[in-house]
Amino acid sequence: MSPPLRDAAQPGRKEKGRILEIKRLQKVFPLNGGFLPALDEVTFWAESGELICIIGRSGCGKSTLLKIMAGFVPPSSGEVLIKGKPVKTPGPDRCVIFQEDALFPWLTVRENIAFGLRGRDQTKQSKAAEVEWFLELVGLGEFGDYLPNEISGGMKQRVALARVLILKPEVLLMDEPFASLDAQSREEMQNLLLTLWQELAHTILFVTHDVNEAVVLADRILLMGKNPGRIREEIRIDLTRPREKETGAFMNVSRRLHEALRD
Amino acid sequence: MHRAGVGRVLPAVIPALFILAWTGASTTGLIPTYLLPHPLEIAGSGYTYVLGQPGEGPYAGRFLSDAGASLLRVGCGFAAAVAAGLPLGILSGRLSVVHRLMSTTVNALRAVPGITWLPLAMVWFGIGMRTTVFLVALAAFFPVYLNAAAGARQVNPLWLQAGAMMGVRRLRGTFAILLPGAMSHVMTGLRLGLGISWAYLVLGELTGVPNGLGAVIMDARMLGRIDMIVVGIIVIAVIGRVSDLLLQLGMKFCFKSARRGA
Repeated sequence: MSPPLRDAAQPGRKEKGRILEIKRLQKVFPLNGGFLPALDEVTFWAESGELICIIGRSGCGKSTLLKIMAGFVPPSSGEVLIKGKPVKTPGPDRCVIFQEDALFPWLTVRENIAFGLRGRDQTKQSKAAEVEWFLELVGLGEFGDYLPNEISGGMKQRVALARVLILKPEVLLMDEPFASLDAQSREEMQNLLLTLWQELAHTILFVTHDVNEAVVLADRILLMGKNPGRIREEIRIDLTRPREKETGAFMNVSRRLHEALRD
Repeated sequence: MHRAGVGRVLPAVIPALFILAWTGASTTGLIPTYLLPHPLEIAGSGYTYVLGQPGEGPYAGRFLSDAGASLLRVGCGFAAAVAAGLPLGILSGRLSVVHRLMSTTVNALRAVPGITWLPLAMVWFGIGMRTTVFLVALAAFFPVYLNAAAGARQVNPLWLQAGAMMGVRRLRGTFAILLPGAMSHVMTGLRLGLGISWAYLVLGELTGVPNGLGAVIMDARMLGRIDMIVVGIIVIAVIGRVSDLLLQLGMKFCFKSARRGA
């Protein structure tokens, strides 16, 4: 059973254009009396509804970049604009899916998904209906009453997805969300994400260090280099979806990315 | 034998063995009864104390008024300790300004044994209710405060970030994320605090108040009624244990985070 599509759940389809702009972002961390440059002159933008993967080796500042976009960490200079407005604090227009499980362990799956709706001007019934809708959407219809420590890692990330999708964010920021899952669950989650993305048309920024994951998912890949962290290359992926990993075209792109990451 | 059955019997094993050994030692004369009366004598005194008609004997039927007076003192003192210790502890766990402001003072005061406050408290508050409540509140404050601070400090920062991105502001985050996230520590602090409340209750009541469980024990000592001392000890042990269970039940009833052991 597939739940009905609603306009409210499709923020991306309403308007085109640059939804997210990153302008000359710099970040330096103080280190032993000196400074460690973590990000240097990072500039890019995301079109509304675009799925961008940010790929790079560990230590290239990709997580820092994501934290700045989320508003958890202030940049040293430069700015992040969302729909033209500068980002200062975290907010429900840019939701983050963390790598580790960040669900509230004292709330059931259903209560976790409903968490962000608390205090919103909406009737109880309409909130409950919405929670059920998103519970079904991520395929957890029967698990609403379970606690986070009673479900698997993959299911936890489904809950994490549902609890932010219900807030209808403009942009989803995903920080290696599937890195700690086993290969099967990871593939399932990638497929789920693509389905949700095609259905709901969010703008997604997806940080990963897994080349194949980036090629499966991305419209566009930003390849980051380190010392200091910067965007070295931008690669547009024009392969049709669903993308089969065994095809020559896929392997070409993936090989090229592997080589680019090596040097 | 079923597992659940064993589990239910287990808490009673040590008290039962203890009473058995006590009965044996008393019956055989191993322990003279002027040091420790026979369990049956204690049971008799306890019965008179709890269910006897007032006037039957010196302690007959006093239990309700003593327990009531003591419960009121513990209740007031413990409530004051929680009202001050819990918010301050949570604040000091999250804000380093508060932590730095408080930690020297709290840890210095904590090093002062509670009994040393007794003379001062008697000068300030006289004998009775207020001195006892003061001592109880002072003693219970530290475990409540310190555990709340530890709990707030170790709350997973990802929960707070997740809350912030879902649009949860400070005040609501405190109740919706911080408190539940720190619940297991908070709970430990409350239980330790309540336990120590009973200890300081007796200390406060040893000073010549007319009623209360501590007063009974002190009174019995002066009259040489060893049996009533033991009855007093047992009554405090039972009430202490029951109040601990009620505290846990109450917290579990009120808070999901206590119920689900987060």
